[in-house]
Amino acid sequence: MTSQTTIPATSGAFAEGMHLPKTVKVENLNHFFGQGELRKQALYTNNLEVRRGEIVIMTGPSGSGKTTLLTLIGSLRSVQEGSLRVLGNELCGADRDLIVQLRREMGFIFQAHNLFESLTAYQNVNMAAELVGLDPMITEGRIKSLLTRLGLADRIHYKPNSLSGGQKQRVAIARGLVHKPKLILADEPTAALDEKSGREVVTLFQELARDEGCTIIMVTHDNRILDVADRIVNMVDGRIKSDVAVQETSVICEFLKGFPLFSDLSPTTLAEIADQMMVHEAVAGDEVIRQGDAGDLFYLIRSGSVDVLIDDGQQRKKVAELKQGQYFGEAALITDEPRNATVVAKEKSVFYALDKEEFQAVLATSATFEEELRQALFNRQ
Amino acid sequence: MSTPLAWKNLTHNKVRTSIGVAGVGFAVILIFMQLGFLGAIKKTATQIYDALEFDLLLRSPAYLHLTEPRSFARARVYQAASLPEVSHSRPFYLGLSEWQVPITSNAPLGSKASDPDNLSGQWRGIITMGTDPSDPGFSREDIRQQARQLSDPRFVLIDSESKPEYGPVQGDEFSQADIGVTTALGPNRVRIVGLFKLGTGMASNGACLTSPEGYVRACPWQAIDEVNFGLIKLHDPSQAEAVKSQLQAIFGIPASVSNAESQQQLDAALLTNADVEILTRAEVNKHEEYRWVVDTPLGQIFQLGVWVAVFVGVAIVYQVLSSDIASMMGEYATLKAMGYSNKYLTIVVLQQSVLLAIVGYVPSLAISWLLYQLVESESGMPMFMTVEIMLTVFLLAIVICVVSGLGALRKLFQADPADLF
Repeated sequence: MTSQTTIPATSGAFAEGMHLPKTVKVENLNHFFGQGELRKQALYTNNLEVRRGEIVIMTGPSGSGKTTLLTLIGSLRSVQEGSLRVLGNELCGADRDLIVQLRREMGFIFQAHNLFESLTAYQNVNMAAELVGLDPMITEGRIKSLLTRLGLADRIHYKPNSLSGGQKQRVAIARGLVHKPKLILADEPTAALDEKSGREVVTLFQELARDEGCTIIMVTHDNRILDVADRIVNMVDGRIKSDVAVQETSVICEFLKGFPLFSDLSPTTLAEIADQMMVHEAVAGDEVIRQGDAGDLFYLIRSGSVDVLIDDGQQRKKVAELKQGQYFGEAALITDEPRNATVVAKEKSVFYALDKEEFQAVLATSATFEEELRQALFNRQ
Repeated sequence: MSTPLAWKNLTHNKVRTSIGVAGVGFAVILIFMQLGFLGAIKKTATQIYDALEFDLLLRSPAYLHLTEPRSFARARVYQAASLPEVSHSRPFYLGLSEWQVPITSNAPLGSKASDPDNLSGQWRGIITMGTDPSDPGFSREDIRQQARQLSDPRFVLIDSESKPEYGPVQGDEFSQADIGVTTALGPNRVRIVGLFKLGTGMASNGACLTSPEGYVRACPWQAIDEVNFGLIKLHDPSQAEAVKSQLQAIFGIPASVSNAESQQQLDAALLTNADVEILTRAEVNKHEEYRWVVDTPLGQIFQLGVWVAVFVGVAIVYQVLSSDIASMMGEYATLKAMGYSNKYLTIVVLQQSVLLAIVGYVPSLAISWLLYQLVESESGMPMFMTVEIMLTVFLLAIVICVVSGLGALRKLFQADPADLF
């Protein structure tokens, strides 16, 4: 048998293998505001994993708890219930020294720029650099190149009161990035910026993520920059409603599109199907489905390969070998009959499985169901 | 290497910093003046004693203060001279008499006696001292020289530091022009034969010096064999304590109530009828300072003034620092989020406080020095800017600013980086 996990397929946990280092790992996190009678829950058993080098965009209506989650991850609030690991440190019950130390490995970009009026752009950025004890010579070059990239080359030694709102925000961004943080937490970083500088900022984010393995979590409603997200986390009423790895979802959708029954479905429907799929794992020799059993799941092979065996009463005969991107298990769901073949994993494999009910619900909504069904059954013979 | 945030904050907001500097400066000047006055009181309290030559002082056990010294038998002074350690033992007379403002030609023409500007003929209380002109009890050579002129009981020397209300010819102070003027001292007429420069501080507005015979003419209620002080000069001043004990034995004075070792000694100390007490110079000074600084309201007023100034300073600097912090809560919270510790923020605020103290102190020192000169020339009080006062005020300025800074820090600790998102 395969081992079923509670990990949704779209989480992207298996896109590049299971065990990439996690920058952030949130488990069963609850958070409350207020005391006694006024105590109000803001976060309900949240689970989230963010891998190294990932760019995560958090969305959701105001009051949905995304800011609370962001401040918890940033160690700006203390964890009350559950587990929160950031950069390898458990924040639940962490002492002050650890927190101060940890904060130095993070970069914060706030909605308000909060620059010291008394310091120049350069000195403001340097406040972050000197804290982590970078070499002053290197720091100087880095501050200047950062500010130059952000279009502030001729404003390096200006004080905030002679900078525009957008320019101040860009100085604050440079301050959040200068010390090469391992984790950047940003709140609407591009809200005050025009299209061009907003684009420059997200390009910078991408470079940091790609070249330095920096993880970026940002809250934004700016749909101009959605394209940089590796993962989109949607929160509603203190719960993570969806947590989708964009790349992985698109891969799943491509795979699903290859299934004739689904080929005419719209991307929205495909994404919804992808959302319903769960991760299953198998090692070499595991029987994923057995001939004669009742069918309950539809499988998509994410990685690895399987043999399809049919037992005709005397012997088992291998009829096919399926690889990544292919699927099996649909016939029993469509015909509501027992499994007509046994599927055995040839190697360590990962499958994305869709529940029978979900599968049938999708089929029911498909306008071309009858035709697709006939086509499918015909192609089988 | 690190960004001098405290200094930048101070120099950036010039208006707020100016208010802070003015606040510190105001408090510092106030403290300087109070301490200056206190110093002047201490100084003037012993001004006359400082001019007298003695290692041990005899005076009446009923002595109240300088202008109410009471008297004792002159024989005690001569008795003290019998000890071989004593080089001189001189009687000294001092009391309050009345001085009539000389009737001189500089009174405005046609002015009436009731005219408040016309002082002529009015009476003024004056410290009158009597000493032997051939061997004056003063240590200062200039006064000793002048005292030689007191060859007649009708001759007096007038203190040139006396206030103008004593009627100097020149109007503002006694000078050579006053020599030869005649007026009344007590019930008798005297002639000014010379000047000396002493100053009597708080005790009186003026002083004059005459011979013992002149003194009893001015203060007829005192007999010449009743003196106010005995000035004992020793061959070796370091023996003062030893000689004091010897004299106490001779005069039958018990050690003191506090030193009494037995009930008999205590009884003796309480019931003594000794007519004289003996004090070293240090004891005299301590007694006099205590009287002016602690016993009279004057010293208390100025000490209270110092505290008031400190509180005013704390209030102003606290306001400046806390509004400075309040306006930068977001920035400080950002620093915390970046990983700056509360310790760093504390240091920034305290640096800012100390800088404010230093920047406020320096100009105030200069202004206070000028004010000291002004007060001294206007009132005649000896205002000295001593190193001790400068250091005390500097420390107080630092204390004011640090206390205010610590108060303002509470606000800073409330800066919550979680509020930034």
